[in-house]
Amino acid sequence: MARVAVSRGRGPAVIAGAVAAALLLAGCSTGSKVDVKGSGGAGGASGTLKVAIAGEPDQLDPQKTSSYFSFEVLENVFDTLVEPDAKLTMQPALAKSWTTSTDQLTWTFSLRQGVTFQDGSKFSASDVVYSYNRIIDDKLSNAYKFANVKSVTAKDPSTVVISLKQPTPNLLSNLGGFKGMAIVEKSNVTDKKIATQPIGTGPFSVAKWTQGDSITLKANPKYWGGAPKVAGITYRFISSGATAIAALKSGEIDWTDSIPAQQVSTLKSASGITLGNVPSNDYWYLALNEKRKPWNDVRVRQAIAYAINRDDIVKVAKYGNAQVNELAIPKQSAWYTSYDKYSTNIAKAKQLLSQAGVSGTVKLDFLATSDYPETVSAAQVIADELQPLGIKVSIRTPDFATWLQQQNSGKFDMLMMGWLGNIDPDDFYYNQHHTGGGSNAQGYSNKTVDKLLDAARTETDQAKRKQDYAQAATQIADDASYIYLYNPTVIQAYDSKVKGYTVRGDRAIRFKDVSLG
Amino acid sequence: MADARVAGGPGDVAPPARRRQAHPLVRFLLHRLGSSLVVLLGVMVVVFVLIHLVPGDPVRIALGTRYTKESYDALRAANGLDRPLWLQFVTYIGHALSGDLGTSFRDGEPVTMTLLGRLPATASLALVGIVIALAIAVPAGIWSALHQGRASDAVVRALSQLGVSVPDFWVGMLLITVFSSLLRLLPSSGYVPITEDPVEWLRRVILPGTTVGVVAAAIMTRYIRAAVLDVADLGHVRTARSKGLAPRVVVLRHIVRNALIPMLTITGIQLATILGGVIVVEVVFAWPGLGLLVYSAVAARDYALIQGAVLLIAALFLLINFLVDVLYAVADPRIRLA
Repeated sequence: MARVAVSRGRGPAVIAGAVAAALLLAGCSTGSKVDVKGSGGAGGASGTLKVAIAGEPDQLDPQKTSSYFSFEVLENVFDTLVEPDAKLTMQPALAKSWTTSTDQLTWTFSLRQGVTFQDGSKFSASDVVYSYNRIIDDKLSNAYKFANVKSVTAKDPSTVVISLKQPTPNLLSNLGGFKGMAIVEKSNVTDKKIATQPIGTGPFSVAKWTQGDSITLKANPKYWGGAPKVAGITYRFISSGATAIAALKSGEIDWTDSIPAQQVSTLKSASGITLGNVPSNDYWYLALNEKRKPWNDVRVRQAIAYAINRDDIVKVAKYGNAQVNELAIPKQSAWYTSYDKYSTNIAKAKQLLSQAGVSGTVKLDFLATSDYPETVSAAQVIADELQPLGIKVSIRTPDFATWLQQQNSGKFDMLMMGWLGNIDPDDFYYNQHHTGGGSNAQGYSNKTVDKLLDAARTETDQAKRKQDYAQAATQIADDASYIYLYNPTVIQAYDSKVKGYTVRGDRAIRFKDVSLG
Repeated sequence: MADARVAGGPGDVAPPARRRQAHPLVRFLLHRLGSSLVVLLGVMVVVFVLIHLVPGDPVRIALGTRYTKESYDALRAANGLDRPLWLQFVTYIGHALSGDLGTSFRDGEPVTMTLLGRLPATASLALVGIVIALAIAVPAGIWSALHQGRASDAVVRALSQLGVSVPDFWVGMLLITVFSSLLRLLPSSGYVPITEDPVEWLRRVILPGTTVGVVAAAIMTRYIRAAVLDVADLGHVRTARSKGLAPRVVVLRHIVRNALIPMLTITGIQLATILGGVIVVEVVFAWPGLGLLVYSAVAARDYALIQGAVLLIAALFLLINFLVDVLYAVADPRIRLA
């Protein structure tokens, strides 16, 4: 062993120097310290809820971000005028009531009294006017939700009036569907701190953001809905599902949604852990590029819809954690339409192809993305299932940034993607299937569908509106503008000591009523 | 040259010659600094060109799936991305030369602050990792070389082969399963600054540090073994042995000392590599290091942040190379004289 002790010489000096350097460098942390445990300002609130989400927010400006990780945090920091309940019906939030003029063109909102921002300043109608005008004037990504809005004005400090160009039956879900429409504070925007230190009216305020590691929230004891029952929340960013689950099992965290579908079965049997697995309104679909041959022929698209087996796709891509669906909207939604045309039928698929004059081997360029692994696994199943039709699928899996660009520029034969956080059908059908719609990358155009979508946009009779969407949805699927595949479930797991939490189908993560038992 | 002229040239004056006679170390340092700056400038140019060649558009990603052309144009203009590329380049280089690396496209924070914020975690992981790697690789590599062909050599070689082949995420998950899930001795993930809580810092750096260290040790062991073997066959070692020096003295003074240069080289390379970011380990242990930052910046095409991060990593590489060069001179007097 004496010979092994060679590193005595200069070795230890080098190592000691390295360690000293490590200590020195490790010391220059730029974050400021915040004591959450000691900040039990909220009367009776105790304990910090420790949460792991699957990635880091890109920024914390609710009106500018489009990242779900941001909204997982911001859901608890900001409020909207109205907000969806568990059944996605709009309920009062910062607005306590509202009335609509008989011509449906003027909406008057009465605001809740005595609400303050987390910095202590008073909330009033001018904040609503400022927030909405910021989205409109700065042309932020949600500006399209105000396309029908003529003006937003403050009648008095507690009354906001929204004037419309034409009736907008989905105005409430536009205003409150998600926290992207949050009411922000003007000074927080003008001093440019909103992106990292936002100030809202919600149940928790942002105390500290340690980049790359965590965000800490502090209970807002003056929250209009009653002080939260925990003193704070720490959101850690753990993208590795296996690590998040290990941390949950060992009690390092109390809640996580960083759960790969393949791990769900192992969590079902774990003791002391509650597994939430509820149907969501998200949908995943295939789209064929109608600007390219032979996919411009509806029969060819239908052939593909007949050839695939949705059950197989759900088994492989989602490990069973999804409901197959041939339309966008799932059963639990008020907008559900039943539809069952495309049960797997290879003979029918071959017949449609030959009717369309397609024979021999056809190449299909499938645009999936490595950032959404389910598109890659689904693509592999689909490639296999299209083989009997003589369709030779080559799968590409660029990152999402590249995927978006290729989708935009039409460089694909077929692509797969999901559409998340759906509440009102106008939001997705119009964008994706109206001629020239913002997300109509497949180039679908059908005058009947356009008319139905235009009419439903302004239809104030709920029953008639539902009828219009049912008809449009059926036509869209008949034309295979999209080949819908499934609605995934929302998967979240939490320690059994977490009380008062509800897993929601719209993926809104609300911790205001949570306590630690 | 100068000396010759002073001696031979009748009208020559001595002082200018003396002025040219800067201390060799100063000259060496200045030369290195100059060439480092050139390299960094080159890195800036190459990175700028590359990231604009890669498909993907930061504005499109930031807006997500729902967006309109109006909001696209507005965000593009607000961030100056609608200006001609050459103008963006000139502005960037201009600012960078004055020390301003720009602001992140996503959260609007200065890139310099974001990068500095990640350095402590990255440095902690790299230095703990390299210490663990040295503690394993130096004894194992030397032992293995000195026992070439024997059973213990075979064991070391097999283990290092295993270490090179096993993916680091697997080592990481194994450590988490054993030490966090089963034994509940150490936390599975996360980072705590040493200034906040030194004990917690240590508890959290052990598992990722070990993962990085074990993988680096496997590579280093093979290099060190080869280096020692090369030296052990040389004439001066045989002479030392034949004149009856104690084996310990032969190993320390005649073998290891002469094998120090390759050892330093591989250690420097490994250290720089870890400092540049070990993405997989950072993902597994939710470690807020440079690797994850670069990864997310690339995913979002956050140009300023990518450029800043690559620049920082390049600078770290140069710094470590420089330190290794200095250590060469310490280890080998011939280099000092030259």
